[in-house]
Amino acid sequence: MGHKFQLVHAIPSRTWAVLLSWFLFALGIGLYLQTAHRRHQENTDDRIVPTVPQMARSTYDAAFKPAEDDEQTIAENASLPQRFFASMLWKDTKATSRRFFYSLLLLTPAVILGLHMGLFPYVGVFFSRFVLFFDKIVALSLLPILFIAFGIDELSKIMLIVIGVTPTIILDTFNLTRSVPREQIVKAFTLGAGDFDVAYRVVLRQITPRVLNSIRLNLKAVMLFLFAGEMIASTDGLAYRIALLRRHMGMDVIIPYVLWVALLLFLVDLAMRLINRKLHPWFHEA
Amino acid sequence: MALIHIQNVSVAYGWPSRPVLSNLDLSIEEGEFVCLLGQTGCGKSTLLRLILGSELPTAGCVLIDGVERRQPDRTCGFVPQKYSLFPDKTVLGNITFGPEVNEFNLLTRLTPRYFRRRRQFRQEAMHYIRRLGLHDADAGKYPDQLSGGMQQRVAIAQALINKPRILLLDEAFSALDPGTRKDMQRLIRQLWRDTGITVLFVTHNTQEALYLSSRVIVLAKEAPDQGSRIALELPVPELCPEVQISTMVMRLDDASGCTREPDDAALATA
Repeated sequence: MGHKFQLVHAIPSRTWAVLLSWFLFALGIGLYLQTAHRRHQENTDDRIVPTVPQMARSTYDAAFKPAEDDEQTIAENASLPQRFFASMLWKDTKATSRRFFYSLLLLTPAVILGLHMGLFPYVGVFFSRFVLFFDKIVALSLLPILFIAFGIDELSKIMLIVIGVTPTIILDTFNLTRSVPREQIVKAFTLGAGDFDVAYRVVLRQITPRVLNSIRLNLKAVMLFLFAGEMIASTDGLAYRIALLRRHMGMDVIIPYVLWVALLLFLVDLAMRLINRKLHPWFHEA
Repeated sequence: MALIHIQNVSVAYGWPSRPVLSNLDLSIEEGEFVCLLGQTGCGKSTLLRLILGSELPTAGCVLIDGVERRQPDRTCGFVPQKYSLFPDKTVLGNITFGPEVNEFNLLTRLTPRYFRRRRQFRQEAMHYIRRLGLHDADAGKYPDQLSGGMQQRVAIAQALINKPRILLLDEAFSALDPGTRKDMQRLIRQLWRDTGITVLFVTHNTQEALYLSSRVIVLAKEAPDQGSRIALELPVPELCPEVQISTMVMRLDDASGCTREPDDAALATA
């Protein structure tokens, strides 16, 4: 009887792996270029599917010229870096990044709370039901309440991210804390450690790389809530610009902006992964 | 007065209650090496956890030096079968963890005195590393870079550097290959002789129990719905003729229901 070929055991060669992994990118770009070319043959002023030169021109303007609504002007003889730091893209990126990093900082108390909930039974009992309930609330549905309560300033946008992502991080940290073997905790006590030594010198150190991974996986959710807040109520930021340009059908700027956001998020993710690896050489992902 | 005194201790889990230990009485003198022997599920590890203080009895009490055990502390060093080392710390970090947490908290670790003392802790840890048969180069390794036997050596060093009065080992060598296991058995016996520490060793291996201990205690259930009691208590003389050992093995095997492991057959007479 002949053996059936088992696809599960087929290992692509390096060349095939490279070709296959880039194929969908090439297909997407090819389809886009083809569509853009066809639409521009029918209508040279088409704005729905801009051509590459159109996008390059708009990207250059976004990266080296101030926004139209910006009162700032740049001297004629300004250098390229000077132009960049006064540009629309830089200002939007700066505004979004500031909110993004404040939100990430505000996740620290969430990690600490999750750690204490997982380690100290009384803290766990006190908070777990409430956090579980809070986790089920759709954060975006709170947006009107946040705008009413905190106004439409920075605080409401950051609170939206915190409310949206915090319960997940608390519960993740709680579960990670509970997964630390009981033997390790008992052992630490037999070595003379106190409650806080066990919490911060044994458990937190062990779970930190996994918590960082959990935050990495939630970066997109952080960005999603940030974009929702910026699109609805903001006067600067990447999402504000995308929402603004949508009204003018400015696809030649929107597409580069979307790719720029993806690139930034990828870089943040990569940086966190490298830092994690550097700080925790003992940690091997399963 | 005995160092460890277990008074009429019973332990039961769950609802309806499932008894694990019933009305157990036991005394262990300072400097003894006691092996707890019995089949899986007979309550050996439970008894160890009661002495450790990480578990409380349903009835009765466990006293160490006349003081009731409520929670784990430095009195007892502990070497479990698995997860005995902190994975985020190097061998040196694992061994110096005890002395460091005893003298310095999170704030006092920032003082110059900490850095001076840390050097001393490291020197002492290196002494233990060599004494337990590890190399200087192992000091910077993480636990996942060590073999099972090396990990248990570090775990023993980690416990001993704190100079506990009692060392509790819960099937500490069960996961090791026969050769490494024999090495570790010789090592722990030598350490016991050198330091005079009280050792309580949980095992389900009759040969190991006889080779290591000065007294073997067998836990067994009289009926499936009852908790374990002491089925046999057997002092092991220092120099024991081979014939007497064979008799003891048979008596212990009968009492515990444990089977003899061929790999270790020669160990008892070694």
